Amino acid sequence: MEPVIKIRDLTKEFKVLNHREGLKGSMMDLFSRDYKTVRAVDHISMDVEEGEIVGYLGPNGAGKSTTIKMMTGVLQPSSGEILVGGTIPYKNRSRNAQGIGVVFGQRSQLWWALPLIESFRLLKDIYQIPDEKYNEMLELYQSLVNIKPLLHKPVRQMSLGQRTLSDILAAFLHDPKIVYLDEPTIGLDVSMKSKIRTLIQALNEKKHTTVILTTHDMGDVDALCRRIVIIDHGKLLYDDDISNLKTLFGSYRTLKIRTGGDLASKAREIEKMFPEFAVKDDEEWISVLVDEERAKVMKVLHELEETMTIKDMQLEEIATEDVIRKIYERK
Amino acid sequence: MERKTIAFYWKIYRRIMIQDIKSKMSYRADFIISTFGMVATNIAGFISFWILFQNFPSVNGWGYYEMLFLYGFSLISITPVQCLFDNNWSLRINVYSGDFIKYCFRPINLFFYYQSEIFDVKGLGQLFFGIGTLIYAWYKLSLPVTLLAVCKTVVFLTTASLIMISMQNAAAATCFWIQNSFFVLDLAFRFKDYAKYPMTIFSPVFRFIFTFLIPIAFIAYYPSLVILRPGEVPLLSWLSPFIGCLFFWLSYKLWMFGAMNYSGTGS
Amino acid sequence: MKTLNLKKYLTLTRMGIIESLQFRIGTFVMIIGNLLYLTLVYFLWKAIFASSGTDRVNGMTFYDTLVYLVLATALYGFMEMYTVWEIGRNIQSGKIVLDLLKPIKYKSYLFWSYSGELLRNFICVFLPTFLVVCIVTHGAVPLGINLLFFIVSVIMGVIISYNIDYIVGTICLFTESIWGINIMRQVIVLLLSGATIPIAFFPEPFKSAVFFLPFQAVYNTPLMILLDPAPSLQTTGRMLALQLIWCLVMTVVSNLFWRVSLRQITVNGG
Repeated sequence: MEPVIKIRDLTKEFKVLNHREGLKGSMMDLFSRDYKTVRAVDHISMDVEEGEIVGYLGPNGAGKSTTIKMMTGVLQPSSGEILVGGTIPYKNRSRNAQGIGVVFGQRSQLWWALPLIESFRLLKDIYQIPDEKYNEMLELYQSLVNIKPLLHKPVRQMSLGQRTLSDILAAFLHDPKIVYLDEPTIGLDVSMKSKIRTLIQALNEKKHTTVILTTHDMGDVDALCRRIVIIDHGKLLYDDDISNLKTLFGSYRTLKIRTGGDLASKAREIEKMFPEFAVKDDEEWISVLVDEERAKVMKVLHELEETMTIKDMQLEEIATEDVIRKIYERK
Repeated sequence: MERKTIAFYWKIYRRIMIQDIKSKMSYRADFIISTFGMVATNIAGFISFWILFQNFPSVNGWGYYEMLFLYGFSLISITPVQCLFDNNWSLRINVYSGDFIKYCFRPINLFFYYQSEIFDVKGLGQLFFGIGTLIYAWYKLSLPVTLLAVCKTVVFLTTASLIMISMQNAAAATCFWIQNSFFVLDLAFRFKDYAKYPMTIFSPVFRFIFTFLIPIAFIAYYPSLVILRPGEVPLLSWLSPFIGCLFFWLSYKLWMFGAMNYSGTGS
Repeated sequence: MKTLNLKKYLTLTRMGIIESLQFRIGTFVMIIGNLLYLTLVYFLWKAIFASSGTDRVNGMTFYDTLVYLVLATALYGFMEMYTVWEIGRNIQSGKIVLDLLKPIKYKSYLFWSYSGELLRNFICVFLPTFLVVCIVTHGAVPLGINLLFFIVSVIMGVIISYNIDYIVGTICLFTESIWGINIMRQVIVLLLSGATIPIAFFPEPFKSAVFFLPFQAVYNTPLMILLDPAPSLQTTGRMLALQLIWCLVMTVVSNLFWRVSLRQITVNGG
């Protein structure tokens, strides 16, 4: 099947002004200006299939929002090719807009002074949604989250969580092919975060909507994305299944044990037994970072049990967050 | 997809306008203070006018009531910019903070979508003030009241209002290129004060500037001549409806060009 | 302790200058705008005087009126701080809450943040205009001890003007839109301070009434002190004293109004 989004060698360059420092510098800026070219997106290629949820990650200023702006047709690429649903977004901005929904975690796109239902009705007119589809969607929303109490509340009186929820519902209202979510859970409490993740998941499943999610919260990624794409300095660093991510630096797991006696001396002992693994100790636990390609955790545990009494043990997977941090820091 | 019709846009605009008025009314303190402000502004403007004519019986051959006619005309023709295009004042802030991007994702005209967000009811007070002044001056000057004259007035007023709208659009659009464009907008808005004087007071160079470069002469002077002095209507007066439309179109193009250009700078 | 405080404020001033210089085109536009505005003033009053048939109206010649209005416009260009917009915006965006938590009183914080702009406007707008007027008119502006009084008077004018702005800004706590209020303030201050039409032209009961309002102390008093061809220490002193009283009254009123309003708003949970 044709991918919904097809990107080939996408590049975007900006001219930015070099501001000089200090009082004297700004005096000089008054008379002459000095520009430099920055490549925000640098030869990126990828395909997104219909119905996928793709986590689009990268540190601040990596070029994420620039890419999103090009996908939504707000920005024209400097070079390269981009096709969304078979059309070039910036050439058919209005048509492209009909088929997408956008949510910014911090910028509500709803009418500030209006009750939510009025915003919905306006969107119905703007996107020319037929009555039955509109009603169907509202029923679906009601079944997923209880929106009745929100409908007659002006957006400005809503809490941040309610507002984000409303924004997401508004973005899905016209049943777009693609929804772009930019940090949808930023600033929300734990329960609201999970509510929003469940909602996105459900809408993706029910409507088969493609979702491009940018976030700094690995909780979102773990809960929603099978596939992640990582960029930094405009370049693509990683584009694969999330499960492969963890093997990117070898398949590490951390074995934590508690033994009788002095933990520090026991730790030294273990270090001698397994010189190939890093061993750390704190007041409660001795942690052994086991590389499973060299020895299975069970085997390590077994050997340890023969030499010392193990009172308690824990096994920890390496967290997505740690892997991502490693990728960011690799450069 | 079919092209969106005027009926489509009107439907959306009407819905937003009704909702906006409803929500404005619910903030009573705001409504009262703002309406009071509008009335006070108009009274202060009128007092300036009145003081001037306490000292000087006429300006450049224009008598008190003729000047009052010009004054009323200019008040009415600058009302639409205040009622319908008030969101231009927030454009700079929206662009500066990056919030402007959120207007770019809708499948409807960006300029329309942005301007439709705000409908300022308070401007209506000025409209009534202006109509009152115009009718009073009309009566005092014993101008004929014919259907044709009324039609002419309405057409010329409507197109004259486009001039002020164009100037505000163009001035607001500068924020896409320069940072502190507030000064430009404030300046453009201040020019309206000079629309109420006859152009003949200026030297030819400035008459040229105010006719073709900063077209404030078309806000009240040229269109008013058609009613006030039907014997000596210059060609420019008859052209003023077209000039209004032309400038509006140009300012719209500039605004849209700026908006497209803006999205080009990353946030 | 005192010097340390001053340093804190001066840092704000310096940042203000740097920030405002970065708005390069803004500065140019402002200067061009004021020049255009003055051109309009010139032609309007020229036509008015030409049609009146006499040289002198209400004791002022065309020349006097022009010098007065040019300097008033320059003063306006320099004193107009646009603080009301800032207050209104901060209230709308909720940023005001953060500003209230700063270890400086909000009123001082705002003033000193804008002081850099004030200084720049003084140098870029008022000073050049003043010098041009002095040179072109040779002698319409008496140069002597009155300059010193003028500076004192301008400083007080700035304080009164800022307090008026602050009162109007406080009203924004109760309103949603800033625009209408701001235009009202601009028009009323310009009219009643004599910046659009010199107060000398005002008809009688109105003229006396204006002298009981604070607005004329913003632009009219400094200009009267500056342009008086035969100044006496007594009249100058009286004008300055009146201005000082307005300074104090307006400061107290604006502080009080702010405090009461803020309490009202926080009680209502705005």
